[in-house]
Amino acid sequence: MNAAIEVTGLSYRYHDGTEALRGVSFRVAPGECVGLLGPNGSGKSTLLLHLNGLLPEKAGWDGAVRILGHAVTPENLETIRRQVGLVFQDPDDQLFCPTIAEDVAFGPQQLGLSEAAVKERAEKALAQTGLAGFGHRATHHLSHGEKRRACLAGVLACEPSILALDEPTSDLDPRGRREFKALLQGIAATKLIATHDLELVVELCSRAIVLDHGAVVADGPVTELLNDEALMLAHGLERPHILRHKHPHG
Amino acid sequence: MIDDWVGHYHSRRESVVSRLPAGLKLGVALGMIVGTVLAPPGAIGWYVSMAVVLGLTVALSRVPVLFLLKRLAWLSPFVLGVALVNALQPAARGGWETVAVKSTICLLTVIVVSNTTPFSGVLHVLREARVPGLLITTIALMHRYLFVLVEEAERMRRARASRTFRRGRGARWQTLSTVVGQLFVRASERAERIYDAMCARGWK
Repeated sequence: MNAAIEVTGLSYRYHDGTEALRGVSFRVAPGECVGLLGPNGSGKSTLLLHLNGLLPEKAGWDGAVRILGHAVTPENLETIRRQVGLVFQDPDDQLFCPTIAEDVAFGPQQLGLSEAAVKERAEKALAQTGLAGFGHRATHHLSHGEKRRACLAGVLACEPSILALDEPTSDLDPRGRREFKALLQGIAATKLIATHDLELVVELCSRAIVLDHGAVVADGPVTELLNDEALMLAHGLERPHILRHKHPHG
Repeated sequence: MIDDWVGHYHSRRESVVSRLPAGLKLGVALGMIVGTVLAPPGAIGWYVSMAVVLGLTVALSRVPVLFLLKRLAWLSPFVLGVALVNALQPAARGGWETVAVKSTICLLTVIVVSNTTPFSGVLHVLREARVPGLLITTIALMHRYLFVLVEEAERMRRARASRTFRRGRGARWQTLSTVVGQLFVRASERAERIYDAMCARGWK
């Protein structure tokens, strides 16, 4: 069976010489939910961009990324982007249409669906993210939590089998975070979540990958990795409270 | 706040005028503007009737009059400057009142329509009128990111102000130029990220 995501020896250097990824390798099975951890600048966002073929394949690019068996190459981009839904860190980068309805409909329109199918998908995605009836709202007049949900709706409308999320809960208030977590829990797709929200990783993911200085430094079950205080501290992280104070019988 | 200068009122106040179809409003506005531009200087009747129509529309639209006047003051200098230059030229003396009246009517029409019509409605009308798709996308993106840029500029202005302890005109110009430069760099970086986000959802 093909892995949902298969990254082999991936290295990437930005044009200014910054080495963002150094020989990254890992596999994610279909349906798995994996947390991608690491300090700022460790290469998490760069790695997510690679999953969607968004970084030019020029000098400085080495290794291979395969999505459901398809290599990420310029010829395969359409197939790849149909499969991988990428939710960006800054909602303002992603919501570029004047209204939510138009923004959510953008992806399905690009897929070449009929007008009725586009409308149906957009409405379904809006309802799924709790934004039913918000379609007419201007994207720049939303709260941060609403913007996050609208971004997710825009990606869900394309019905991807893999979701790659970049810091999905940053800047959210506790209620917004809780709601967003519940939303993610209800989505069946394979998920790769790059985040500093370690409690979210404990609650949602079964496995975690730790990146530092562009290389994978640990890959294993969430509780095992996040309970390893020495590992956490060595890579700019810390053991989450939820694991420190977990009830012995719960 | 800068947002007051670029923001619209249509989202805050519902009225009879805001509920009218966007196409109708844009059509009537275009007619009024073309008619006013083409009207001869002596057509007092036309100018008065336009003023009455505008007055009624403003009353029905519930757009605050003070806001309208502020916006008019912000936009007028460009056209009124021309009228002033015209007034100071002995050969062309006499035409400047007409220029001022025409510009005021046209600007008020644009301000009232833009503040009672959602921008998505305007884009929809342009699409119906078969304006090229690329141009519509450009206008839509420009409108969308104008607010993001203004907010970014405002945040940078506040951050700069909070660490400005002495008020010197030279220093102020210097920091302003830094802010403008930074804004340009940030805008171009954001443009790249937006393009990536569009590609991620299948933009070709």
